[in-house]
Amino acid sequence: MQACAPTPPPATPSRRHARREDRLMLALAAPAALVVLLLLVLPMAWLFAQSFYDGGFTLQHYRRIFTERIYFDTFALTFRISVATTLLALLLGYPVAYAAARLPQRWRLVVLGLVLVPFWTSVLVRAYAWLILLQRTGVVNKGLQAAGLIDSPLPLVHNELGTMIGTLHILLPFMILPLYATMQKIPHDLLMAGSSLGGSPAHVFRRVFLPLSLPGIVAGCTMVFVLCLGFYITPELLGGGKTIMVSMVVSRNVELYNQWGAASAVSVVLLACVFAIFALIGRFLPLERVVAPR
Amino acid sequence: MTNRSALSRLAYLALVLLVLLFLAVPILIIVPMSFSDSRFLAFPPPGYSLRWYEAFFGNADWLDAARTSLTVALLATLLATPAGFMAAYAMHHSRLRAMKWLRTMLLLPLMVPIIIVAIGVFFVYARIGLVATLPGLVVAHAMLGLPYVVIAVSAGLAGFDATQEMVARSLGMNRLRSVLTVTLPQIRPSVVSGAVFAFISSLDETIVSLFIAGGDNQTLTKRMFTTLRDEIDPTIAAISVMLTATSFLLVLVVIGLQRKKA
Amino acid sequence: MAARQYQRIAAAVLGAAASTAALAAGQITFVSQGGAWQEAQTQGILEPAAKQLGITIRQDSAPDAWPMIKTQGETGKPVWDVVDTPTVNCLRGGKAGLIETLDYGKLPNAKPMPAAYKSPYSVAYEFYSSVLAYSKDTYKTNPPSTWADFWDVKKYPGHRSLRNHPLATLEAALMADGVAPDKLYPLDVDRAFRKLEEIKPYITVWWTSGGQSAQLLHDGEVDMIMAWNGRVSDLIKSGANVAYTYNQGVLQSTHLCILKNSPNLETAHAFVNAAISPELQANIPLSIDYGPGNPEAFKTGKIPAARTQELPSAPENAARQALMAYEWWTSPEGEAAEKRWLAFMQSK
Repeated sequence: MQACAPTPPPATPSRRHARREDRLMLALAAPAALVVLLLLVLPMAWLFAQSFYDGGFTLQHYRRIFTERIYFDTFALTFRISVATTLLALLLGYPVAYAAARLPQRWRLVVLGLVLVPFWTSVLVRAYAWLILLQRTGVVNKGLQAAGLIDSPLPLVHNELGTMIGTLHILLPFMILPLYATMQKIPHDLLMAGSSLGGSPAHVFRRVFLPLSLPGIVAGCTMVFVLCLGFYITPELLGGGKTIMVSMVVSRNVELYNQWGAASAVSVVLLACVFAIFALIGRFLPLERVVAPR
Repeated sequence: MTNRSALSRLAYLALVLLVLLFLAVPILIIVPMSFSDSRFLAFPPPGYSLRWYEAFFGNADWLDAARTSLTVALLATLLATPAGFMAAYAMHHSRLRAMKWLRTMLLLPLMVPIIIVAIGVFFVYARIGLVATLPGLVVAHAMLGLPYVVIAVSAGLAGFDATQEMVARSLGMNRLRSVLTVTLPQIRPSVVSGAVFAFISSLDETIVSLFIAGGDNQTLTKRMFTTLRDEIDPTIAAISVMLTATSFLLVLVVIGLQRKKA
Repeated sequence: MAARQYQRIAAAVLGAAASTAALAAGQITFVSQGGAWQEAQTQGILEPAAKQLGITIRQDSAPDAWPMIKTQGETGKPVWDVVDTPTVNCLRGGKAGLIETLDYGKLPNAKPMPAAYKSPYSVAYEFYSSVLAYSKDTYKTNPPSTWADFWDVKKYPGHRSLRNHPLATLEAALMADGVAPDKLYPLDVDRAFRKLEEIKPYITVWWTSGGQSAQLLHDGEVDMIMAWNGRVSDLIKSGANVAYTYNQGVLQSTHLCILKNSPNLETAHAFVNAAISPELQANIPLSIDYGPGNPEAFKTGKIPAARTQELPSAPENAARQALMAYEWWTSPEGEAAEKRWLAFMQSK
């Protein structure tokens, strides 16, 4: 559906009218803009300033991040988990989104419902549910032992693996929904045309469907990756204390050591990564299509 | 040829089912856990009882927290929806270059890692004394809900034929009335879905609330977090089941409204 | 001379009248660590004190009060009044100008308390211990009883957990390495971390919350753990087959302190005085396994002798433990050790 181009008011277009229109529009946008400005943009600017401060201007926080091994390890771990989770989410989510897009209405609602309901269950509780399921005396291990597949319980939680499982569970809907939204728009006729021109189903998929679903793939991967970078509760609960991700370092510096300088510097680096990713993606896809694909 | 495609079809269906199961299982086990009669989180539960639901409803602190969460969610939505609507309308109709920046800025709460949002808001609030206050929570949650409203209303406006509004205005209606009587009713499902998303996101919001809720104004999620730290008991599971049911019902309402439009 | 005395008496009377007037409408915000401990306090101390003084007590809880203390202190307009928090936070906060220097003139109940239980900024509130707890299912005969046993993975195989925090954990590591409990301070930090590196691969979980430590032991996720005695006794009472020993435990305390520029300074002092009174202090062990901060509580006769013996601060138990030296933890070496913990956790 194409929107009509904004048209000037019925009176003769004059600069005065245009300016009044502009002022009206700015006024309309002002409340929302003000809230975000005061509560998000300003604090981020302050965090940025704070990262250079320790009694006076200093680069020591950044120097520590780039020289001390643990910061590098933390960022490396966070990126590693984020990349792995994103790839897994794509591999597992694509088929589900495909199914949802192609199923008849009733089944589609069931699938979407199953995808959305976990979405709205508290992250805390989901993490604990995974803890109960994956621990040594948990259902999964007990089941595997009962089935004779393993002798002694597997360490499925309190480590990186548990963190990834929990994170994947929480982020999967963020992959499936954008994929579904994009796939849904792909006209069935195109696919029919492709196969009527002699293409095998696999061929049609690869050359027609897949490229058309690309915006959804990009949107989904971006959201999952960026969200994973900032994950806090899941690694805290499922990582056994050993899986330390960047957001945990930020929060610990604020909560435990009250070192806003260190927390800000880490936050700035994290933000820089996130903005870099969005800037990169933004070259190929409008930002709004990423965050809310249609 | 047929065998291979049948097999691959089967594999594909199995994969989809497995993934859906993966998504569903933790949610499913929370329900029986909430009816457990053991003091500790356990699955399968050793016995069943309603004690954790009773524990919630019988505890003034939990009920206060629930009241706070619902109040904050409602007020935040009431704040975010008109503000977001106006902003989306402005961005849709205006050609100012500033609107491009505005669009990015209004999406920031979704883009910035939530921990950074949290410490930022916390810092501002600590300076101006809004920590542990209701207005503080409402405004912060409104900010977090704005992107949902903006995105939904923008989508709705994009699919709306603006000439209708123009016609109403050329017939003498002022802008406000034409928006309220012509545009708004037609894009109502978008506005409602944006508002519902904002409401649900406020109910479930944990991390920012962790930093800025407190004292008399504790949100349900913050209390759940601190309680889980202190006493891991199934009241949390009971609360979660109720929250999920609430969100689910709200979504059904949205779907129902959208059906009516179609 | 007489005139001055009259002046002083008049001032005291006026002051008392003023403070009673303030108390009449008085209220404070009291903060503790939540959970069963806060509930026990509500029943045993907060409600009786509120009734006694005719004030309202609002409550808040924070597993770790230090960050909020810092933030509120820095704004100069704290919302909290009285905080029950591990002693190290009171000392740190006092040194940093975030905690009020207590006016001991307003705390007559503190006079008979030993000097070691008081500081310029805080007064002892309750005693608890970090102890070695274990599953009796795993270790039926010859259970572990020292930290050296905890570190001995060959003689005592099994899954282990320690707290994700250096406080008390460094002490345990040193005791495992052979240092006597009364010779721990100043802590040899390098030696402690070296010893911790030995056991690190065998730690299944580094716990961060009391509830988590209880759940781990209850579920059998770990066989041995360093946990707070109250949590473990709770498990035993609810039927779990676990046990603990005070041997080589670390005796710790929480103190009451008042935030600087607290909005209700007078009422806060009155509350602290009531909270450390022997009568109310004696209520603590009646509902939870923590020892009263004020030893005079043992003289009230409210605490049965059998119960006294179970408490961490009972003389026989205290003798087997290491008393935590909070002064060391607030020193620069202590702060450095805390910072080093994060690096230790992240290193491979």
